[in-house]
Amino acid sequence: MLKQLLLEIYKADYVSKSNLAVKLDSPVPLVEEGFAELVRLGYLLEDASLNCQDRPCGRCPYASMCQKEPLKTWTITEKGRALLEDYQAAV
Amino acid sequence: MPITIALMGNPNSGKTTLFNALTGANQHVGNWPGVTVERKEGQTRHGNQVYTVVDLPGTYSLGAFSEDEVVAREFILTGNPDVVINVVDATNIERNLYLTTQLLEMGAKVVVALNMVDEAEDRQISVDEKALSRRLGIPVIPTVASKRKGIDELMEAATATIRAPLNGHVRLSYGESIDGKIAELEDLLKNGDLAYPPGWLALKLLEGDEYLRKVVDVSLKLQGSDEFTRFWDEMAVQAEDFQLEIVDSRYKFVGDVTKDVVRRPEVAVQTTTDKVDRVLTHKYWGMPIFAVIMFIVFQLTFAIGQDLLGGWMATGVEYAGGLLESLLVTVNAPQWLIDFAENGVVGGVGAVIEFVPLIVILYMLMGFLEDSGYMARAAYVMDNTMRAVGLQGKTFISMIVGFGCNVPGVMATRTLESKKDRMIAILINPFMSCGAKIPIYLVFIAAFFPSYGGLVLFSVYALGILVAFLMGKIFSKTLFKGETSHFIMELPPYRKPTLGNVLRNMWDNVSGFLTRAGTTIFAVVSLLWVLAVLPVGVEPYGAESILGRIGLLIAPIFEPAGFGNWQAAVGLFSGIAAKEAVVATLGMVYAGVEEGMELVMAIREVFTPLTAISFMVMTLLYTPCAATLGTIKKETGSAKWALFSATYTFAIAWVLAVLVFQVGRLLGFS
Repeated sequence: MLKQLLLEIYKADYVSKSNLAVKLDSPVPLVEEGFAELVRLGYLLEDASLNCQDRPCGRCPYASMCQKEPLKTWTITEKGRALLEDYQAAV
Repeated sequence: MPITIALMGNPNSGKTTLFNALTGANQHVGNWPGVTVERKEGQTRHGNQVYTVVDLPGTYSLGAFSEDEVVAREFILTGNPDVVINVVDATNIERNLYLTTQLLEMGAKVVVALNMVDEAEDRQISVDEKALSRRLGIPVIPTVASKRKGIDELMEAATATIRAPLNGHVRLSYGESIDGKIAELEDLLKNGDLAYPPGWLALKLLEGDEYLRKVVDVSLKLQGSDEFTRFWDEMAVQAEDFQLEIVDSRYKFVGDVTKDVVRRPEVAVQTTTDKVDRVLTHKYWGMPIFAVIMFIVFQLTFAIGQDLLGGWMATGVEYAGGLLESLLVTVNAPQWLIDFAENGVVGGVGAVIEFVPLIVILYMLMGFLEDSGYMARAAYVMDNTMRAVGLQGKTFISMIVGFGCNVPGVMATRTLESKKDRMIAILINPFMSCGAKIPIYLVFIAAFFPSYGGLVLFSVYALGILVAFLMGKIFSKTLFKGETSHFIMELPPYRKPTLGNVLRNMWDNVSGFLTRAGTTIFAVVSLLWVLAVLPVGVEPYGAESILGRIGLLIAPIFEPAGFGNWQAAVGLFSGIAAKEAVVATLGMVYAGVEEGMELVMAIREVFTPLTAISFMVMTLLYTPCAATLGTIKKETGSAKWALFSATYTFAIAWVLAVLVFQVGRLLGFS
């Protein structure tokens, strides 16, 4: 499932966990868990958050507005790409 | 003989609630030896038997990634509990069963407490617990720990499991190759006299468990055996693949188990999201749909914010100004203070505050789009367009942040990995029309284009994005060449926006706006007021004042753009301190000149529709505010880039403003 999930992420224009769940014939929570596992194993990277916890917002009046994360992005790591190459060659 | 029950489960599965339900007040808290992880233990009675219940730390898995995980698995394997009650959240069963799978691998006696079944029912999630029990080979008891439901049945099942021999467990297969290696390694470890079951230990070692690897290494070396080291050296090359295969096998097992056992209504909802996305994120229609939605947002902003609510705020500001003036007169305040209150505070800061209703409506509508999940689609649509012109799509995320304020917009570029992408994103971010610029457009729209407010505001935002795209393209072909990195955007499912979230979003923006008006803008206006009334003896707010002289010095630069008057010049100048100060300054200098006249009326007398457009183009694109320039310096690590940003944006703005005015004039507009 994890290799197939990584391949589907790679092939997709964007990540829609529900879409992936349908493609993989798995429930959405399991797909979400798969993402977490791929991250833990170093195949996928959840891109740095945009919230400004590490930023010197201080008393900036717009701080609460800026701390919102507009959206989440993912990157397939080198390790992930190497795995996909092997996987695609095998199937 | 004491009987020990270990409670194991994911965080937030209701494990502690079950522990409290079982033990009541009979519990004590300490620490696990050698670590700072809390150990909770208590007593419970079922029938005539007293049980010791140990609440293990909540974990998602039983690896060695945290102290919690190590503590939990060490207790299950070496603490000899008679049974493990695995608390599984019925609303998130798939995720929770991953841990169950690992408990089964350990060969522990396990009973599943399928907790929070009431919440699952509320969410229309149905779990066939009998089928689940058959698939796992262990008892599954539905519980609602918070209401003490199912506790007796759970204890009954736990007692029966303790008494029964260990059998019926499902054994996972990890594929022929790994199963073979596990058997091979298990044989080696059997002779090692280790504290863990050899089969489980073999599995964890193949999974790359560093903690156990060290334990085994030390133990076998002490026994003078080097077979393990030899085996491991041969295996090292494949270790990573094994890790993935083993984890994958567990997920496959969980997926197979839950497929026929769990029913969720979300599937239909989620699929609808994808169907809607096929239209809203379409390669060709996505962008026009986004444009239409934004146009509607701006139209509604004017229809509700200006036509319905705008008058109230203007009257309110006027009324508050009158009160303040009366109060100062009553207490015999000096004339300069009355003048400052009337023209500086009310004329300046009040001019900014008058536009709060529009800002309230705009951010409420934006909050609605954000909360519904549409804004993520907008980013995706823009991302596609940016990639099409050869720019890094993720740049648009920092641009979206820049719509609120350019300072965090510039900071958000930190998420871009490549230096090239980051520099481009930093340099084009100031073209995003930040919230502070909105009052400028609103004043000019109110003065000249009240019937086309939505269209004008939409055009201003669109122009900012267009110029940012063009400059980004030019930079990527000239100053910053190179490859762009690839990423994948996640689109969340659509949601029904909640009033609370929409109002919170609006308040975050409006409160920031009001705070700025009361602090930064007030400070800037105070300083400008001093410059506008000095030196003593000249006509206040006149061309002879210090402010007027500064304005006269700068004004010729803007002559070709059609607004070469000193008031407009000082307005733009003060905007470098903070963009809201443009309107505040205009409010003050025109309030001083046109006694009693509203800013909009004064603007109408000094500007024309054409020069108003030219002025709006200038304010949209020219030099970013001081805070943004400071952030650019900090983020690029160079004052040169901040200076470059200040000058090139000014040049672009000036050229376009002049172009608008001159071409407009040639075409016969005034």
